[in-house]
Amino acid sequence: MKIERAILNLTQDELAQKIGVSRQTINSIEANRYVPSTVLALKLSEVFGKPVNDFFNLNEND
Amino acid sequence: MNSKEVENCERTRLELFLNKVQLPQKYKSIGIVMVTLSFMAISIFKFINDEPLWIGPGLKHAMLLGLLIISLSREKIEDEMIETLRSKSYALAFIIGVGYSMLQPLANYFIVLILGEDDFSSNIGYAQVLLFMLLIQVGFFELLKRTR
Repeated sequence: MKIERAILNLTQDELAQKIGVSRQTINSIEANRYVPSTVLALKLSEVFGKPVNDFFNLNEND
Repeated sequence: MNSKEVENCERTRLELFLNKVQLPQKYKSIGIVMVTLSFMAISIFKFINDEPLWIGPGLKHAMLLGLLIISLSREKIEDEMIETLRSKSYALAFIIGVGYSMLQPLANYFIVLILGEDDFSSNIGYAQVLLFMLLIQVGFFELLKRTR
C-alpha cells in the first residue's frame, strides 16, 4: 500500500483525508498492524484505481 | 452491492446504535474535570472525621459518572480503527473486572491473615468494581491508541 501511495505522491495525511480516516489508521495499515474493513479496502482500491488484491494479499497461514 | 450495503452487512445494528449514543468530544474534558475533582475531594475527606454520610457515596458516583462520560466521548476522528480499539478495551475491562471481583476477596483474606486481624470481609462494593472496570477501559483504550 505504501508503494501505491508513493506512486500517487500522497502523504499519509492526504490519503487519510480522502477516505475519511485518521493518519494513524493509514500508518497502522501500512505497518501491517491493522487489517481494514471491506468498505475501507474498497475505498483504497478506488483511490489507487486498482483491485484490492493488488495491495492486500493473503499469507500462507491465512 | 454498494459501500453502504457492505457497511451495513459488516456492522451489526448494535454497533450502529452504540455509535449513535456517543457523546461529543468536548464532553471528555468535562469527564476529566469531574474525575479529578471527585478524586481530590475523596482524598481530602479521608482526613476529615465528621464528614456527612452522603459525601463518600456521592463522590464515588460523581467519579463513576465522570469516567462514564470519558468512556462514551468521541475521538477527534472517529474511524473504524478507533471503534475496534474501543471494543477491545471494553472486552479487556470486562474480563479483568470479573477477575478482579473474584480475586479481590482472596487478596483481602491473605492480607488479613498476614496482618493477623479479625475483620475479614469478602464483600466488595459495586462502585469499587465499576470504578475499576471503567478505569481499566479508559486506560487500555488510551494505551491501545498510542501503541497502534
